[in-house]
Amino acid sequence: MTNISRRTLLKAGLAALAVPSVAACNNGAAARGDGEIIYWLWDSAQLPMYTECAKVFHEQNPQYSVKIEQYGWNDYWSKLVTGFISDTAPDVFTGHSSKYPLFADKGQVLPIDDYVSRDNVDLSIYQKGLADRWIGNDGKRYGLPKDWDTEVYFYNSAFTEAAGISTEQLNSMTWNPQDGGTFEQIVRRLTVDSKGRRGDQPGFDKDNVKVYGLGYGDAGGGDGQTSWSWYAASNGWKYSEGEPWGTKFFYGDPKFTETIGWWRSLITKAYMPTYAQAKSGVDVTTSFGAGKYAITPNGSWMLGTYGGLKQVKTKLARLPLGPVGKRMSMMNGLADTIWAGTTRRDASWAWVKFLGSQTAQDIVAKAGVVFPAVAASMPAAKAAFAKSGWDVTPFLEPVEAGDVFAYPANPNAADVTAVMTPAMDAVMSFEAEPASLAKANDDVNQILSANS
Amino acid sequence: MTATTNAPPTRKRSHGEQAAPPGRRRSLGDLKVAMIFLAPATLGFVVFYIWPTLRGAYLSFTEYSLLSAPKFNGLANYERMLHDSFFWNALVVTVEYVVINIGVQTVLAVGIAMVMYRLTKSITVRAVILAPYLVANVVVALVWYWMLDFQVGIVNQGLSWLGIDPVAFFGDSHWAIPTVAGINVWRHMGYTALLVFAGLQTIPAYVYEAAEVDGSTEWKTFWRITLPLLRPVLVMVLVVTMIGSFQIFDTVAVTTQGGPINATRVIYYYIYERAFTRFDFGYASAMALVLFAILAVVSLVQLRLLRAKESDLA
Amino acid sequence: MRRQVSVGRTVAWVLLFILLIVTLFPFYWMLRTAFSDNTQLPGHPGSLLPVESTLGAFKRVLGLSTIEEAQAQGGSGAAVNFWLYLRNSLVVATITTVCQVFFSAMAAYAFARLRWPGRDKVFALFLAALMVPPIFTTLPNFVLIKNLGLLNSFAGIILPGAFMTPFAIFFLRQFFLGINRELEEAAMIDGAGHRRIFFGLIIPMSGAPIATLAILTYINSWNDYFWPLLVGQQENVRVLTVALGVFRSQTPQGGPDWAGLMAATLIAALPMIILFLAFAKRITNSIGFSGIK
Repeated sequence: MTNISRRTLLKAGLAALAVPSVAACNNGAAARGDGEIIYWLWDSAQLPMYTECAKVFHEQNPQYSVKIEQYGWNDYWSKLVTGFISDTAPDVFTGHSSKYPLFADKGQVLPIDDYVSRDNVDLSIYQKGLADRWIGNDGKRYGLPKDWDTEVYFYNSAFTEAAGISTEQLNSMTWNPQDGGTFEQIVRRLTVDSKGRRGDQPGFDKDNVKVYGLGYGDAGGGDGQTSWSWYAASNGWKYSEGEPWGTKFFYGDPKFTETIGWWRSLITKAYMPTYAQAKSGVDVTTSFGAGKYAITPNGSWMLGTYGGLKQVKTKLARLPLGPVGKRMSMMNGLADTIWAGTTRRDASWAWVKFLGSQTAQDIVAKAGVVFPAVAASMPAAKAAFAKSGWDVTPFLEPVEAGDVFAYPANPNAADVTAVMTPAMDAVMSFEAEPASLAKANDDVNQILSANS
Repeated sequence: MTATTNAPPTRKRSHGEQAAPPGRRRSLGDLKVAMIFLAPATLGFVVFYIWPTLRGAYLSFTEYSLLSAPKFNGLANYERMLHDSFFWNALVVTVEYVVINIGVQTVLAVGIAMVMYRLTKSITVRAVILAPYLVANVVVALVWYWMLDFQVGIVNQGLSWLGIDPVAFFGDSHWAIPTVAGINVWRHMGYTALLVFAGLQTIPAYVYEAAEVDGSTEWKTFWRITLPLLRPVLVMVLVVTMIGSFQIFDTVAVTTQGGPINATRVIYYYIYERAFTRFDFGYASAMALVLFAILAVVSLVQLRLLRAKESDLA
Repeated sequence: MRRQVSVGRTVAWVLLFILLIVTLFPFYWMLRTAFSDNTQLPGHPGSLLPVESTLGAFKRVLGLSTIEEAQAQGGSGAAVNFWLYLRNSLVVATITTVCQVFFSAMAAYAFARLRWPGRDKVFALFLAALMVPPIFTTLPNFVLIKNLGLLNSFAGIILPGAFMTPFAIFFLRQFFLGINRELEEAAMIDGAGHRRIFFGLIIPMSGAPIATLAILTYINSWNDYFWPLLVGQQENVRVLTVALGVFRSQTPQGGPDWAGLMAATLIAALPMIILFLAFAKRITNSIGFSGIK
C-alpha cells in the first residue's frame, strides 16, 4: 500500500513540527531579572487594584518589578503545591489561615521576623489582633496582614418590607439555641409558601415553600465561617482551647451540638432548604438573586457579588445578640507570604512590606472590594463602599467592640476538615444526629495528638 | 482485537532454488538485531514500569513529603492503614462501585449484543452505540453532572413531569455511588456490547438450528446454549473491564470529589488526595501497593476461571 | 436463523430505539446547553431547545470575551484559553501516538519475526506489565519526572507512554505472527537485512492494524486525565481534560458556569467525534477478541 509511506511521512512531519514546540514550551520559567518577582492571588476582583499597587511599587523601587498571576481558588492551591514540589513556586503569594500553617510546618513559607525587626515595621497600624494571626504554631511570623473580613446578614429588602419588618428590628435581633429568639421569628415571617402564606400564618405548607427565610451554601465543615460560627460563638463556645492554635477541639461540647441542632431544626420547620437543595448546582448567591432566599449570611468579600445581583435590592443587617449578651463574628484576614525557596528574598520582602503599608492599602481601600488591614485606610474603604451603595458599619462594629474570634487555624486543618465536613454534612442531611459530632470530635483530637 | 489481514501474494520459487534455511545464521539467532529493535521499548519498560514498581514498593515503607528526602519508617504506614477508617471506607466504596458497575454493564452489554444480533449488523448502529466510549471520562462525567442536577437538570425535570420527586443524584449519599457507576455504564456499555457481539458471531449457526429442531424456546436457547458458549468471551470481558473499574478516578474527581459524606471517596481518589494534597506520599504508596495486591488476586482468580472454561463447543 | 415471532421483534426494535436515544441524548444536551444563555438556564430547565441562543459560552471559553461580559453571563471571569489547551492536547496525543506505535512495532517485530534465546520468556515479562495497575506506577513515575526536572513540560507528560505499552506490543505481535514467512525469506535471499525487511515489507503490509492501533492510541492519549493532571498543571502544557476539571471548579461556591462548561466539553469532545466519524468503520470493526491464542 503506497498510502502507508505517505502516512509515515505525515507522522514524521508532525513529529518534526512538534519537536520545536516541545523545546520551546518547557517550563514557564523563562529568564527573568533578579529584581522581578512573581506574585499570585486567587480573586479576580482584586486583580485591578493589585496591578495598581505593583505599578506604584515599581515607581518607588525601580530595581524591582512584580508580575501578577491570578488563578481560581482550587486551581490556585493545587498549582501552588505542585510549585512547591517542583521548585517552581511563585516568590510571593496570598496566604489563607487554613493553608499557611501546613506550609509553615513543611518549611515552604519564609519567616519574616528578622526582616520585620530589621526594618522596624510598625505592627500597630493594623486592626487589633490581625497581625498576630500570622504568627504560626512555632511562634514565627509569616506574613503582614493585608485585609480582613467578618460576617453579616445580606437580606432582600423588598421581602422584608412586604413582610412589615423594619430595619430596626433587623438590626436588633436576638438569638438563643432553644427557640431561636427574635431572629427565628423574623426568618419564620419571611418564609413564604407557594400560596403566599407566611411561616407564622395558619395553613403554612411546609412541602411547597416558594421563598425560604434563611439560605445557606453548605454545612460549614469545621469552621462554619458563613453558616453557623457566630451562633456557636455567641453561645459561649470556642473551637479549641488555644486561640487560634489549639491541640484539642470541642465539637462535642453541648453548647455546639445544641447550636447545630437548632440550625438544623430550621430545615424541619421549612424555613431553610434541605441540604440536597442547598448543595445542588445553583449556588446560594444565585438562588438569593433569583428570589428564593430572604436572608443569607455571608462574608464581606462577597459584597461585590451581591452588588451584581440586579434583580434584588440587598441590604445588610447585624448578626443577632447571643446568650452571652454580645454580637460575635469571626474575623479572618489574608496576608501575603513568601515562598521559602525563593531566590529573590530582598525583592519579595520589599513587595510584602509594601503591600502591608498604608500606601498600598489606601489603593486597596479605594477600590471598594475588601477591607484593608491598616486601620487608617478604613475610612477610604467605607467611602468607596458607600459609593457602591453599601453601608458597611455592620461589618465594622464587632471589630471595634472586640467581639471577634479567629478562624480555627491548625497545621492539620486539612485532616480536621476531612473529618468534620462529612460529619456536618451527615447531620444536615439528617443521616446523623448532632450528638454524632462528639464522635467526630474524638476522631479529630486523635488525629491532632497523633501528628503532634 | 480483530486484526484485519490481507493475505499477501506468495512468490513462486523458481526452479532450482532451495527454500532458505530458517534464518538461523548464528547459534544466537537474531539476538543482536533483536536488541536494536527492542531497545526503545525495553528502555521504556525498565524506566517506566520496572523501576517505578520497585521504587513504589520502597516508598511504601517511608515517610515522604515530596519536599525532602524519603525517611524510612518500617511498617508504620501499613499499621496506620489498618486503623484508617477512610482507607477501609474507600475500599468498601470501591467494591460497591465495581459490583454495580460491572454487574449492570455486563448484563446490559449482553442484552444489547443479543438485540443487535437479532435485528441488525448495521455498522451505523454499532458506531452509534460505541460513540460514548470515544469521549473522555471527564467529558461524560460533566455532561451527566449537568443533566442530573437536583434543581436544573433535565433528568429531574423529566421525573417531576412523570410525577416523581426529584432525586439528588450527586447530593444524596445513597445515590452517589450508583450514579457514578451508572455514568460509567453509559460510557462503556456500547463498547462492551460490541465485544460480546463479536463473540456471538463466533457461535456457529448449526448450534441454533439443532436447538430449534429440538423444539427449544428463545429463552431456553439463550440460557442453555448461547450463554455457555459465550463464557470465554464473557470472562475476557470481565477481566478487561474489572481491572479498569477498580481504578475509577476521573468521574469522581470532576463531580463529587469524594463526597457527599465520603460516599464516593474511592480508593484511587483517596490515594491521590493523600499524595498530592497532604504531602503524604509514603502512605499513598503503601495504599497503592495494597491495591496492587488486591487487583493481582482478583486477576488471578479470574484467569483461573478463564483457563478452566474453554469453549464448550469443543 | 428463522424469523422470531413479531412481538419479540417489535420489543427488540423498541429497546434498540430506546438505547439509541439514551446514547445520543446527552450529546444533544451538550449542544443545546452550550448554545444557551447561561443566566437564563435556571429558569428554563426543561426546554429542549437552546435557551436564548447565543455564542456567549463559546466566546467565554475561547478567551474571546472580556471579564465584564463573562461575569455578566455568570462566568467566573477567570482567564481561560481553550485554543491553547486544544493545541496542548494535539501535541501530547500526536507525539505519544507516533512514538508509541513506532517503538511498539519495532518491539513486536522482534518478538514475532526474530528468533533469539529467551524470546518468549521476555515477552511474557512484558505482558505481565499489563497486569500492574497504573496507580502503582503513577506515583513513583511522578517522583521520577520531578527528579528529572520535567514537571510542567510536554516531555514529562509524554515520556512514560512514549516508548511502549504492553497492549500495543501484544496487538502488533499478533498481527506480525500472521504474516506469511515466505515473503520474508524471499527478501532475505535477495540480501535484505532485517532493517530493510521491517521498513520495506512488514510496515507497509501492516497498514491496517498499525492505523487501527494509532487511532486507538490517539483516542486514549487524548482522553487521558490522571497523568496530565499530576504532571501538567501549568497553562502552557495543560491539556483539555485537565482544563475541563479546572473550569468546573472555578466557582467552588456551588454552581459552575453551565453553558460555558458545556461549550468547553464540546470543544474537548469534538476532535474525537470528528476522528470517529472519519474512521467509524475501522474503529468499530476493531472491537473484538481474536488472536488471543
